[in-house]
Amino acid sequence: MKLMNCPLNGWRNIGEFVYGGEVRPAPGADADTETWADWVFMVDNQAGVVREWWFHAPTSYWFIAERDTANDTLIRTYPAAEIFTERVEFASGEKSS
Amino acid sequence: MAFGLLKFGLRRTYRARGILPPRPALKSSYDVVIIGAGGHGLAAAHHLAKDHGITEVAVLDKGYLAGGNTARNTAIVRSNYLTPEGVRFYDEAMQLWRGLSHELGLNLMLSNRGHLTLAHSDAALRTMRWRAEVNKHQGVDSELIDPGEIRKLCPQLDLSDEARWPILGALYHPPGATARHDAVAWGYAHEASRRGVEIHEHTEVTGFRREGSRVTAVETDRGTIHCGRVLQAVAGNSTRVGDMVGLRMPIRTVPLQACVSVPIMPVIDPIIVSGSLHTYIWQTARGELVMGGSADPYPGYTTRSTLDFKEGLMAHAMELFPFLGEVRLNRQWAGMTDMTPDFSPIMGKTPLDNYYIDAGWGTWGFKATPVCGKRMAETVANDRAPEIIHAFDMGRFARFDQVGERGAASVGH
Amino acid sequence: MSQRLPEPWGLLIDRSRTIRFTFEGARIDACAGDTVSSALLARGDWLLGRSLKYHRPRGPFTLTGDDANTLIQLGDTHNVPAEQVPAQSGLTVTGQHYSGSLRRDRARLTERFARFLPVGFYYHAFYRPRGIWDYWERFIRRAAGLGRVNTAAGHGYYDKNYAFCDVAVVGGGVAGLAAALAAAEDGADTVVIERESLCGGGLNYHRFDAEGESGAKVRNELMRALEAQPRVRIWTDTTCTGRFGDNLLALIHGDRLTKLRAGRVVIATGAIGQPAVFHGNDLPAIALGSGVQRLMRLYGVRPGQRAVCVTANADGYGVALDLADAGVDVASVVDLRRTPDPDPRVDAVHARGIAVHTGCAIRHATERNQRVAGLRIVDRERIDDAAAPGVDFDCDLVTVDVGATPAVSLIAHAGGDVSYSESNHGLAIRSLPPGMHVAGSVCGPCTLTSAQREGQAAGRAAARAEAAALPDPTLRDGPTNDGWPIFPHSKGKEFVDFDEDLMIKDLVNATKEGFSSIELVKRFSTVGMGPSQGRTAAVNAVRLVADATGEALEGARASTNRPPAFPEKYGHLAGRGFDPVRYTAMQRCHEVADARMMVAGAWLRPAWYGGDRQEAINREVKAVREAVAVIDVSTLGGIEVRGEDAAEFLNRMYTFAYKKQPVNRSRYLLMTDDTGSIVDDGVAARLGEDYYYVTATTGGVENVYRRMLWWNAQWRLDVDIINVTAAYAGINIAGPYSRRALERLDSDIDFSAAAFPYMEVRTGHVAGIPVRAMRVGFVGELGYELHCPASYGEALWEQLMAAGEPDGIRPFGVEAQRVLRLEKGHIIVGQDTDNLTHPTEAAMGWAIARRKPFFVGRPGIEAREQHTLTRQLVGFQLPADTATLPEESHLVVDGEAILGRVTSIAWSQTLGRPIGMAFVSPAQAEAGRHFTIKAQRGNRIEAEVVDTPFYDPDNERQNL
Repeated sequence: MKLMNCPLNGWRNIGEFVYGGEVRPAPGADADTETWADWVFMVDNQAGVVREWWFHAPTSYWFIAERDTANDTLIRTYPAAEIFTERVEFASGEKSS
Repeated sequence: MAFGLLKFGLRRTYRARGILPPRPALKSSYDVVIIGAGGHGLAAAHHLAKDHGITEVAVLDKGYLAGGNTARNTAIVRSNYLTPEGVRFYDEAMQLWRGLSHELGLNLMLSNRGHLTLAHSDAALRTMRWRAEVNKHQGVDSELIDPGEIRKLCPQLDLSDEARWPILGALYHPPGATARHDAVAWGYAHEASRRGVEIHEHTEVTGFRREGSRVTAVETDRGTIHCGRVLQAVAGNSTRVGDMVGLRMPIRTVPLQACVSVPIMPVIDPIIVSGSLHTYIWQTARGELVMGGSADPYPGYTTRSTLDFKEGLMAHAMELFPFLGEVRLNRQWAGMTDMTPDFSPIMGKTPLDNYYIDAGWGTWGFKATPVCGKRMAETVANDRAPEIIHAFDMGRFARFDQVGERGAASVGH
Repeated sequence: MSQRLPEPWGLLIDRSRTIRFTFEGARIDACAGDTVSSALLARGDWLLGRSLKYHRPRGPFTLTGDDANTLIQLGDTHNVPAEQVPAQSGLTVTGQHYSGSLRRDRARLTERFARFLPVGFYYHAFYRPRGIWDYWERFIRRAAGLGRVNTAAGHGYYDKNYAFCDVAVVGGGVAGLAAALAAAEDGADTVVIERESLCGGGLNYHRFDAEGESGAKVRNELMRALEAQPRVRIWTDTTCTGRFGDNLLALIHGDRLTKLRAGRVVIATGAIGQPAVFHGNDLPAIALGSGVQRLMRLYGVRPGQRAVCVTANADGYGVALDLADAGVDVASVVDLRRTPDPDPRVDAVHARGIAVHTGCAIRHATERNQRVAGLRIVDRERIDDAAAPGVDFDCDLVTVDVGATPAVSLIAHAGGDVSYSESNHGLAIRSLPPGMHVAGSVCGPCTLTSAQREGQAAGRAAARAEAAALPDPTLRDGPTNDGWPIFPHSKGKEFVDFDEDLMIKDLVNATKEGFSSIELVKRFSTVGMGPSQGRTAAVNAVRLVADATGEALEGARASTNRPPAFPEKYGHLAGRGFDPVRYTAMQRCHEVADARMMVAGAWLRPAWYGGDRQEAINREVKAVREAVAVIDVSTLGGIEVRGEDAAEFLNRMYTFAYKKQPVNRSRYLLMTDDTGSIVDDGVAARLGEDYYYVTATTGGVENVYRRMLWWNAQWRLDVDIINVTAAYAGINIAGPYSRRALERLDSDIDFSAAAFPYMEVRTGHVAGIPVRAMRVGFVGELGYELHCPASYGEALWEQLMAAGEPDGIRPFGVEAQRVLRLEKGHIIVGQDTDNLTHPTEAAMGWAIARRKPFFVGRPGIEAREQHTLTRQLVGFQLPADTATLPEESHLVVDGEAILGRVTSIAWSQTLGRPIGMAFVSPAQAEAGRHFTIKAQRGNRIEAEVVDTPFYDPDNERQNL
C-alpha cells in the first residue's frame, strides 16, 4: 500500500501519514482498572479488514481507515465523526477544579 | 577442527548425516504439542527431551521448518539490555549460545564481532550509560566508549563533527555476536528428533477442544491430536492462535524488513547499531552487508517489501558510512513480528490450565532462542514458570505493570 | 587477434572511433558503442571472472548481465556486469575475486579439494573447540567478497524524482512496444521502460526465420508508429528494480531513482535463457545462443572460430545460421530432441550442409587455456551408461538454446503466483496481481506474431483499465524448453548455480540431509542466493529437488522472488541525503556570540557560549543569579487551545486542574500517557475565558499536539487546537536585574512587581514588538518569558541584549539552564523521568487533581499507586571536595541490588557543591538519609538526600 485516501486531502503518498492504533472507543471514566488495562494494552490484531486511526501529518488531520491487514490494501477512509457522533461527557459531580 | 571434513573426501559416496528428520505420520495423541516449529518451539522440544525426558512431543508448523521469523531475522545475539531482569535473561541466553554448536553438533557460526550502539545525542548517551552500568553490575561486559575508541573498533564510521548527527559515544558490548539463524533451528530439530520428538511441517492448527479451562485436543488440517500440554510459540501469528483457544493478547503483528547486499571485501568488523537513525548493519563472512531498521510504521500480516523502507535505511546508513553508495542491494525481505507494549516478551503460564505461551518477541526474539527453549521446557515440564521469566508474565498488563525495556531494543520504534 | 565482423554486423558500434581503456593492466582498443564485455570478446578474450568457491575461470553466459559471471571493478564501482559498462576512454577495469591475477588465480587450488567441501561443509566442521569459528572466520572473510569498496569515498551524487502515467510498459521488446502503441492509440499517457540503450529486444538480434530479416522490419514499424504518438515517453537505459504497492515502480537511470506511479502496468520483460547442466558447462565461451547473436548483430564481434550449437528448439538452428553467416565454422548442431519439429531454419541448416545430431545428451566439455576446447555428446538414452560411445567435437565456442525462464520478478514481487508447468517445461504465471498485465515470452515460449498480438491486447486492456488476460500456459507456441537438460557426470562439475559453484550432487545431497523442500534446500545449499539470485539456476534447482524428493514437478514453486529485480546501489536508494536542520529565528545571534550548538531533536540549540564548557556554564549561571541573562526558548512547543471547552479540554489532557484558573495567570502542566507515565510538561497561560496558550517540551510537542487532536476527535468538545511552535519565537530573560532591563524598553506592559505578579501573564508590546509575557520561575530568579511572532525574534533578542547591557547581560545556553533549574529541583521530563515514571515516583503527586472525573492516564496512575512503590526521585548533594563527579545514569546500589540511578548531576557554583537528582529506594527517600552511587570504575560515593529546592527554598527570588 503506497497511497492513502485522506478524507480531507485526497490520495496522498503513504509517507505523509501516521498510524494511530485500532479504533476502540475508550471506556467510561469510572470503568474499573481491568477494563482500562484491556483498552490500553490489549488489541484485536486481526488478519483481515480492520478499522484504524490514521493521521495526515502535514495537515494534522485524524481520520479512520478500513484496511485489510492480510494483504496490505486500503478499503475505505472516512472522517472520525462518522463513528464518534456525540460529545463525550464525564460524570457530573466533579467538585472543584 | 577441519578434520570433520576428511570423511567427505575419503568416501566414494556421500553418506548423509540426516540433519533433518524424515516426515513422520501424525499420531492421535502426545504428551506435549508445541505449536510453531521455529527456533523457540524446536529449542523447547529439545530441552523437554534432553532435560526432562519428555519425548512424546509433536512440534507443528503450518509452513516449512523454521520458515517464519527464524528464517528471516538478522541474526544478532547480545545481552546489553536495560532492565536487570532483561540483562539476566539474555545473559543466560549468551552463555547457552557459547556452547550451542557443541551441544547440537552443528556449526552455528557464532561469530563474536562486538556490538556498538551509537549515541547521537546527550539523551542517548545517558541511556547508553544506564545500560552499561546495569550490564556491568550484573557481570555482563559492556561499556560506554568515546569517539576515539569507536574509531579503533570501526574506523570506517563517519566520526567527524560535520556529520548531520555526530556520534557522541557508543555502548560497546564486546560479547555481541552473530549466528547462522537457519542452522540453529536445524540443530535443535536434529537433536530433538534424535530423542524421539516428532516435527510435523505443513500441519496447520485449525482449532482447539476445551473442557472448562483445560485444552483437551488440538485440531489440525491433518487430524485431531489429543494433548497433555500445549505450548504456543508462533510469533507473528500469536493472536491468530490465541483467538482460537480463547486468549487475549497485547500483541500487534508488525512487519519487520531487512536486506542484504552483494558480497564485498571485508569493510566492517563489528555490529553497528544506531537507535536514533533506525539503522543496524553487519557484514557476513561471505562479505554481504546485512541491514535492518525499525519495524514498519503500521501493523500487517504480510511479508511484503517496501520501497520506503530501503530508501530510509540507505539514507541513514550513508550518514554513518558515506562510502556505501556504490554497494549494491541484492535482496530484501520481511518477517512478521509480535510486538508488545513494553518491548519485552510474554512467557509462562496462561489462564488455561495446560496451555503455555512463548510470544511477544518483536524484534528481540532470535537472541533469546536458547534460553527460551530451556526455560519454556522447564515451565511446561513443571507446570511452573521459573523465576528468571517471572517478569514476562502474561498478566502484568492487567496490572499496568510493564517491563522498563524501551531503550534497549536497539533501534527505536 | 581482432574478432571484429564487417558491416552490417555491429548495429551499436562506430568503427571509426576508437576508445582505449585498460583491463587487468592490458590496453584494450574498443569501438565507440562497445561495452567492456563486447570489447574484450572482440579480442577473443572470454575470461572475465572467477567463481566463488573454486575460482574456476568464468566468462559471459547470458551476455545481458543477467548472470553474475562478468562482475568487474572500475575504480570505486564494483560488482558491475561488464555488459552494462559502456567502454569509455581512460577506464581502468579489473576483474574481482582472485588471488594474484585474473588469469593466474592461485586460489583455483581450492578446486582440487572439492571433494572435501561438499554442500554445507561448513556446518559439519570448524566449531570444535569452542570459539574456534572466530579463528576460521577470519580466513574465510579474507577470501570472500567480490568487490572492493573505497572507504574514503564521500557520499556521491544521486537524486530522485517522481513521475506519473496511465500505463507503464516494462520491457521494450516486441510485446512491450506493441503494448505501448496500443495503449497510446487508446489515449493513455504511456511510458516504456527499457533496460538496454535501444528498444527492440530480440527484434534487434534474433533470427526468427531462415533469411533473418523479419526482426528489423517489425522493429522499425513499431518504433515509427510509437514515435508519432504524442503521449508516449520511451526511457532507455532505465532498469525497473521493483514494483511496489499501488503500482509504484522503482526505476534506475544514471544517478537517478525515479518513482513512477502508474495506473496500470504491463509486464513484457521477456525470458532469460537457461544453461544446460553438464560437466564443464561453466567454462568461458559456453554461452546462450541469444547472447552470441547479440554479440554479433549489435557489437559486430565474431564469438569464436569453431562452434557447436546445443539446442532443444529451432532457435539453435537460427544461431547456427548466424554463426555460419559470420564466418564461424559450425561443427554441428546438437539437438537434445530426437525428432525436431519442422521449421524453415532447420531446413536451412541442412541445406547448408551443417552437421546435425539429434537425440543427444552432453557428456562433458573440455578446457584449454581457460576456455572451452571441446564437447562430447552421447545418445540421450544412454547418458547413464558411462561406457556409451560418444562423438567428440573440437570447438572454442558452444551455444546453448535449451530453454528460457520467464522474467517474472516484478510479478512475483507484487504477489502474483508462479509455479512450474509441465506442459511448458518451465515456470508459468498462475495468477496476476491486480493492476498488472502481461504479454510476450514472460508468459511462456512465444512466437513473434503471438508476442505482438498479446502485447496489443495487454496495452489496450491496460489503457481501458479492464481485467488483465492471463494467457494459458499450456497453449504457448514458441520455442520449446527442454524438460531435463541435466546430465550428471561421475566427476561432478555440472554446475546448477554458477554464482555459488553448486553442482548436481550438492542439491541432491542437500535433500539427502533432510532438506526436503526448495526453501530448505536453498537455505542449506545457498542455491539462488548469489548476485544473480537464481536467474539461471532456479528452474534446474526446482527440477532436481522435485526429482530427489519425489514431489510433483507440476505446480512446484521456486524459492520466493524478492525485490530488487536487479542489484541496485545504496546511493540510488539514499538519494541526496537531505536531512533538514531547524534553526530558531535567533540563529544568527547565536553564531555571532560564539555559541556551541547541541542537537535537540531536529533543532540546534546553544549549549553554551564561547570557550571552555565548564567556565562558560559558570559564567552564565552567575549572570542569571546575580545580574541578567537571556536564553532562546523558541524550540519549546506552543499550542493554542481556544473555545468554550478549552478549560475542560485541558482538564482532560493534563493531570492538574484548570477550570478555575484565573485569566492572566499561568499554571503548571503535567501530561501522562495512557499507562500513567509522565510524557511531557509545560505551562498553561490563560489569556481569556476560552483561550489558553500552552507550552510543551521541544521534543514532546509534536506528540502532545497529535494526542490532543486524537482525543478530541473522540470527545468532540468545542475547542480549536493549533500548533503554533514555529510561529512564535521565545526568549526567557532572567535575573535580579531582568525587570529593570525590560523597563528600559518602550512598552505598554507594566512590569512592576505590583502590576505583574509571579505566575501572571500579560499581552502587549515591548520595543514595538507584540509579545506574550509570562512570569515563570523555572530557573528560580525574577524572570519573564516573552513569546513574539517568529519574524520578530532576532529583533527582540537584540533589543533585550541592548537593554541589559548596562547590567552586563549575556546569553545563556541549555547547559547553564540545566544547572539553574537543577538548583531549584525542577525535573526535566525525559531526563529525570523515563518511559515508566509515574507522578508519585517523581514526587509530583501534588500536580494531580484527584477530584476531576477523568484525565488521560488516570486509570494507569491509580492502578500503579496500588503497587508497592519501588523507587522515588529525590534531590541529593555530595561533599564539596568530591574529586570526580559521578555521571548521569550511574547506579544507586546496595551491594548487588540496583535501587535506582542518578538522573541529573552538576557542580553548583551557586551552592559551592555538587547537587543532583536520583531515583533511590523509598526507604532512603528522606532528607538526611544517605545512599551509595556506583561511579566511575565502580568507585562507591556516598550521597546525602536533600529537600528541594536546593537554592532559595522559600522561592523568594522568583517572587521579586
